[in-house]
Amino acid sequence: MEDKIPTFTIAGLNFNLGNDISGVIAALMVLGFVFFLAKNPKIRPSKRQNILEWLIDFVNNIVKGSIPGEEGRKFYGLAFVMFLFIFMSNQLGLFLQVNVGDYNFVKSPTASPVITMTLAMIILLLSHYYGVKKWGFGTYLKNYSRPVAFLTPVNVLEEFTNFLTLSLRLFGNIYAGEILLKLIATFMKSHGVITFIPGIFLEMVWQAFSVFIGSIQAYVFVTLSMVYISKKLEQE
Amino acid sequence: MNALVFGVALQTGDMLIYLILFILMFIIVMKYAYGPVSKMMQKREDKINGDLDYADETRKKADELAAQREAELKNTRTEATQIVQNAKKSGDNQRDQIITQAQSEAQQLKANAQKDAQQARQDALNSARDDVAQLSVEIASKLIQKELSADDQKALIDSYIEGLGDTNGSR
Repeated sequence: MEDKIPTFTIAGLNFNLGNDISGVIAALMVLGFVFFLAKNPKIRPSKRQNILEWLIDFVNNIVKGSIPGEEGRKFYGLAFVMFLFIFMSNQLGLFLQVNVGDYNFVKSPTASPVITMTLAMIILLLSHYYGVKKWGFGTYLKNYSRPVAFLTPVNVLEEFTNFLTLSLRLFGNIYAGEILLKLIATFMKSHGVITFIPGIFLEMVWQAFSVFIGSIQAYVFVTLSMVYISKKLEQE
Repeated sequence: MNALVFGVALQTGDMLIYLILFILMFIIVMKYAYGPVSKMMQKREDKINGDLDYADETRKKADELAAQREAELKNTRTEATQIVQNAKKSGDNQRDQIITQAQSEAQQLKANAQKDAQQARQDALNSARDDVAQLSVEIASKLIQKELSADDQKALIDSYIEGLGDTNGSR
């Protein structure tokens, strides 16, 4: 049941080959998807371009919900790429799981806490960066003592809980989905035809549900990212 | 390096790879897909705004023109009625004038004719009176072979003819 992880170490850095390959595949999926849709954009949009524009509008609206107006404009691209990457990562493990021997090489990258933490880290570091850039370092620090001074420890602690909840929510949802997929797969193989046929139906139902969960989680991740960034951009 | 996350060694290399991967993906998507498409969306938005503005302007202009035309039409109509009225009035005037002129002319003609007739009658009477006087003088002179004074005779005939006229008038 537990897959072994193909790891190696270069210059003191630990690599998990499964994560890396999956990440590259997910990134290529994003690029392929986007390039397929964005081929030869025109004023009068083709069907493909319409899909991409609908997607862009959808993500823009997520950003506008938290950061309205001109200020949010510079986050449209970030939110768009983040949304697509997490979406593709979530879906990747549903239809592609490559195991060689006991080693797992391709799965959902977001089913690994390290990856979700990296993505959350990108967002939160950017939020601090934009906070300092907008207010200056002094005011940025002072913002921790708002609205009242004694809430400062809570506000500082919140930075860590934000990071953990943002990353672990995504990880937990996708990881649980993959575990159940593998469980159903082992159930399918356990007693021949008797378990294979109901197993296939179960697997299909769970895959469909996982597509739904993966989409929701990508949406939630981007929404919360923008909420955290917007918190750093405004004073209470 | 030896730190553990959920029982697994922290894969610092993966973090680095994902960071690079994400940045690369971001740059490529922005430059070759998102950028052109969103630029096209912006362009379309501008174009639609421009078109709408233009349509508003054109409609306004058309409304103005229509109002102007309406006013002109109204103007023309009143002018036309004015012209017709004027023509009618002048026609009436002319007719009245012609009629009065004709009437006065007819009056004149009638008066003239009456006067002429009177004159002719008077002339005829006078000449008849002279003729009769002459005739009677000649008859008398033939009868009595005597030269009567024409003047005496004329007075005599005058009185006679007056008597005739009186008997004619009473009759």
